[in-house]
Amino acid sequence: MRTPRSRLLFAAGLATVLALSGCAAPSTSDNTGTNASVNVGLILEPTDLNIRKTSGVALDQVLLDNVYEGLVRREADGSVVDALAKSHEISADGLTYTFTLNDGVTFHSGAELTANDVVWSLNQVVTDASIKDHATLASIRTVSSPDPKTVVIDLSSPDSNLLWNLGGRAGQILEEKATNDMATSANGTGPFELKAGAWKQGDSLKLERNDNYYGTKAKVREVVFSYIPDPTAAINATLTGDLDVQTGVDASLSPQLERDKDITLTKGRTTDKYTLVFNPKVPALADPKVREALRLGIDHKAIIDSIGGAGVPQGGPIPALDPGYQDLTGLVPFDPEKAKALLAEAGQSDLTLTLTVANHYPTVISNVLTSQFKNIGVTLKVNRVEFPTWLNDVYTNHDFDLSLVNHAESRDFANWTDPTYYFGYNNPKVQELYKESVAATDPKVADAKLAEAAKIVAQDNPADWLFTGTALTAVRKGVTGFPTDSTTSRLYLGNLAVSE
Amino acid sequence: MTRFLLTRALLLVLGLAVASVLIFLALRLLPGDVAQVIAGTDATPERLAAIRDSLGLERPLPVQYGEWIGGLLRGDLGNSVVTGTPVAGEIWEKAQVTLPLALLSMLIGLAIAGPLGVAAALRRGRPAGFALSGGAQALAAVPVIWAGMLLVIVFSLWLGWLPAQGFPRAGWSDPGAALRSLLLPALTIGIVEGAAMLRFVRSATLGVMGQDFVRTAAAAGRTRTGALLSHGLPSVALSIVSVLGIQVAGLLVGTVLVENLFTLPGIGRMLVADVGNRDLTKVQSEILVLTAIVLIIGTLVDVVHRLLDPRQREVAR
Repeated sequence: MRTPRSRLLFAAGLATVLALSGCAAPSTSDNTGTNASVNVGLILEPTDLNIRKTSGVALDQVLLDNVYEGLVRREADGSVVDALAKSHEISADGLTYTFTLNDGVTFHSGAELTANDVVWSLNQVVTDASIKDHATLASIRTVSSPDPKTVVIDLSSPDSNLLWNLGGRAGQILEEKATNDMATSANGTGPFELKAGAWKQGDSLKLERNDNYYGTKAKVREVVFSYIPDPTAAINATLTGDLDVQTGVDASLSPQLERDKDITLTKGRTTDKYTLVFNPKVPALADPKVREALRLGIDHKAIIDSIGGAGVPQGGPIPALDPGYQDLTGLVPFDPEKAKALLAEAGQSDLTLTLTVANHYPTVISNVLTSQFKNIGVTLKVNRVEFPTWLNDVYTNHDFDLSLVNHAESRDFANWTDPTYYFGYNNPKVQELYKESVAATDPKVADAKLAEAAKIVAQDNPADWLFTGTALTAVRKGVTGFPTDSTTSRLYLGNLAVSE
Repeated sequence: MTRFLLTRALLLVLGLAVASVLIFLALRLLPGDVAQVIAGTDATPERLAAIRDSLGLERPLPVQYGEWIGGLLRGDLGNSVVTGTPVAGEIWEKAQVTLPLALLSMLIGLAIAGPLGVAAALRRGRPAGFALSGGAQALAAVPVIWAGMLLVIVFSLWLGWLPAQGFPRAGWSDPGAALRSLLLPALTIGIVEGAAMLRFVRSATLGVMGQDFVRTAAAAGRTRTGALLSHGLPSVALSIVSVLGIQVAGLLVGTVLVENLFTLPGIGRMLVADVGNRDLTKVQSEILVLTAIVLIIGTLVDVVHRLLDPRQREVAR
């Protein structure tokens, strides 16, 4: 009796599996034009949505430019264009910025944007030191609005970074009377809105087109960001059609995508600086000869090859997308013999150093470094830690020999001018040049001063810049307008469209 | 019986109390805190201090523990430090992925281990028996991650039958789609768990086959298989229940791995993310809930055992 019944059960189970397998995937035939829904794969999810409090580019990626807007907006190529402002004027002395606001701008709550909202938003950042990026608006003396369509910013000293910073977190404009919980919802003016329940924490986040947008409306109905931290799972999601766009494609897995003729891989520039910092508080690393030797011992080409070629050499602290860049890769070329000689001169014949590295970077990078250092007689021990542990040990307590993380933020050269930063780098000449660059009213002068400062930093060898990351993005046929550059920190989707 | 139940309940409460202290203290040993995660790589010491203060991280540990336990006693699991949302709600949302996944995995495991385990015992010493137990030995040694990747390659990438990752945003409002997305992850756990359980079933069956009551039934004219199936199986079921109780913890660990591999928004993936964010009030409640599940199931298994096994009932009186 039992055997036939269990066979029956087995057959029923099998039938269920087959039936489920047979279910057709939801049809995507009407998923084009203004009705399109685009699935975008991202890697890192923001911890919460509060742009005033929580750091991290994962938050900038989805909300800035799409949901929140500033008076101006950063473009992927590093330039700054008007956004909430229709136009702006800068006085000859560089101390007064006058912005004229666009007409008919409303928040997603339905309230109309007023100049008062702008004044209130900027003042909030200027006056409250606990707000993210407060320091970037330090040059602002007053923000005022002579009439409902005009906002005037007065500076205490010229600031060549001001427009750029207004295009960042600090410059985002919020509604003064809004009562929403900023940690889990967002009320901005942008071309997309985040409706209630659109963020499914630990899974995905959905942006819907703002049909009341004052400017050119978004070209797609909605964008769904899926957070897929596992690189293989992400590739699978692209191959099976779950994703229309996959950002941050793992270069070593990308050949799998190249076989699919419906998928295009784009390569974009980023400001992802993989920075190997030498802690100057460690006696051996306080010796300039040792630091130079370590840099001479690094073969950057081999490191870039090891990660599937997804990077370009970066000889100094400033990457190619940022102002003040110049090619410094020739300063300290790969020369293991010279490295050994320098180490001998420094009396370091048997040097052992520990590398503290956050564990979400490819293991292969630290493996290659270990073997390259072994070639010059330096033993590298690798301590892979969770990112919060890195923040605690390296960033806060400065307790490390060598540290490796990706500094993804653009235009963050100021870290080299702050001796209390975990870099521990202190060169008054560099600090002076940076100040002059910020105060310059002529952009050319600002860039030249910055370039000069960056070269001095590179010559002091406080760190090695292993490479600048290349952003690999997989885009399905028919999808256009997805940004290629700087996708790790910004994703403006106002031009995203689906054809056919 | 009443006394037995009372003792069990008391032990359960005691176990949970000890677990709560251990969980609370172990999490405080983790380097780094949520304020550092929020403030990131451009934080000044002042900003860090301000965030710590606003989150109440500087309060003494006994105060923090007392608050947590006080909340628990009122049935409140607390709120996330990062988003401020209630932990209970989040656990309930993610449990809608994890519990069906665990249940499905267990059913698949049982469907493999039960019939094949008995078959392996019946064919002991014969080629089929060797093949079954050898195969199970090998399968049980396969890392879950590996099994999952193979299944994805075959069923998603080659055949295109099942999704390779993810769970529908709409959740269970489309039960077919939800079930389809859980099938490969459940198979991944189920096959490996089933192979491990198969060995228990086999040895339990072998044990029962040597028992007097099976031999008597066989002597009374039943075939050996017939005697085993009609008289021995309840006894085998008992051992399977015990093993299941032990396997629950393993099953939960399996779901953590598999949820990350298949990008499922379940409790396991949430736990990994929350530890990464150092959202300790959330993590401690999550781990305590998981511990409670394991302890409660262990207690239930004990009780069920008592009820199913006539010999133990005698003793209890």
